[in-house]
Amino acid sequence: MIPHTDGALRMLSQRLMTQLLPDLKSLYSMSDGALIGLLINAIADETAEGIQRRLDDIAEMKLIFIAGEALLSSRDKEVISAELSSYRLADVNDQHDALTRILISLHQKTEDKEIEALNQSIWAYLRRHSQRHKITAVP
Amino acid sequence: MITTDQVKIAAAQYLAEKWDTPVTVSDVEKIFGGASRETYKLTLEVDGETRGVILRRDPPSSLIDTERHLEYGAYDRIYPTDIPVPEPLFLENSTDFLEQPFSIMAAIENPMSDVAPLSEEQKQKIGKQKYNLLGCLAAKDPLALKFDEIMTVPDIASTAREQLAYWQGVINDDEIHPQPIAQAAIRWLAANLPPPAQKISIVHGDYRTGNFLFNDQAQITAILDWEMCHLGDPLEDLAWSLDPLWSGEDLELAGRLIPHGQAIQIWCEASGLSCNEQALKWWRIFVSVKAVAIWISSSENFEQGEGKDSILAMAGWVMTDRQNRILLDYFSPEVMS
Repeated sequence: MIPHTDGALRMLSQRLMTQLLPDLKSLYSMSDGALIGLLINAIADETAEGIQRRLDDIAEMKLIFIAGEALLSSRDKEVISAELSSYRLADVNDQHDALTRILISLHQKTEDKEIEALNQSIWAYLRRHSQRHKITAVP
Repeated sequence: MITTDQVKIAAAQYLAEKWDTPVTVSDVEKIFGGASRETYKLTLEVDGETRGVILRRDPPSSLIDTERHLEYGAYDRIYPTDIPVPEPLFLENSTDFLEQPFSIMAAIENPMSDVAPLSEEQKQKIGKQKYNLLGCLAAKDPLALKFDEIMTVPDIASTAREQLAYWQGVINDDEIHPQPIAQAAIRWLAANLPPPAQKISIVHGDYRTGNFLFNDQAQITAILDWEMCHLGDPLEDLAWSLDPLWSGEDLELAGRLIPHGQAIQIWCEASGLSCNEQALKWWRIFVSVKAVAIWISSSENFEQGEGKDSILAMAGWVMTDRQNRILLDYFSPEVMS
């Protein structure tokens, strides 16, 4: 059997919140447990979508780097062209972080050199990124 | 990890020594949400009377890296004034009693902090008091209250720059992942510093709905959580209180209570200060950056295993997400143009 991890996490969260928490005696434990239940739901979403969201970010950042190529160092270009070593979340995260650091530097250069179009395309990416990663499982 | 039974025994022994009379702790309850300190409500029997106290114990890790003596010192200096705070009783710096330092304050009778169930009339009443008290705090002379004995007095012209440098440092030191939105905001803040503060005031540092108590008559009875108290530009507190993070669904209301314009007007009248629109805009963006710093700091604590409370994970992940979206709204083309 291959478990559907996100679905399993949501079921466990539901069981925690609806069946186990009401039996707890302390208000502190109930509040703590309810927060843990909500976080498990957010982790379920991340398990289902997290890698794809990061891959979408990476693809979009690479398009921005093509537009801003003249502002990148040779070291930046090496990092950008490196292949993803695996689809494990940790490896995808590492590449995402490395590219985000280059994006921050590029963003600053667009401000210093007043390259408005590229600057605005980075802001637009940050808005799409933020929307893509928006946590909806916790009210 | 310490149990409530350990707290009960140690607190009874400690208070009996301090008051030189037998003390029985008849009830102890750990309070959820005290992210910077573990918080317990204790019911005591002393000399035939029942009284409540709040014990705040340093955890191995907290949301806010603060010095406990600053917080206790702030309570101590504010308590005699017209700003309501719980009476500070003891500050214990040793680890002999509860393995960590702790402080004890008098408990407030019948406390309420959730404004959601209140009527519109009650929200108006509390909102007016909230901003009147904040204005009164801004008007006070920190030197007359001897705040300079417990914290640095910043230069009036550089307090904004110093605050920005401090919280930028927290982000750089504690970030687990790079923060492109906060970094862009920091660059904007550095390039657009506000005019010098009108005066150096006592800044509560976390003045928001949820950090004060009120009674069933909708009277504010205590302002809590002074752990981020410092001296600086009074607009910082006003800006923090107006942050959309505290507004819930209704972004028009400051802290889910009264409209922003009304809040600002009450604050100006009570403080005798003006509210420069550009300066307030700077401080509103600044407090969002400061909030990101606090949230990612808690995230770092959680990831490093220094703190295991679910609220640290919640702050580090969910609140960073929300705060970044707030910052993005500030930098949207419509707003910036």
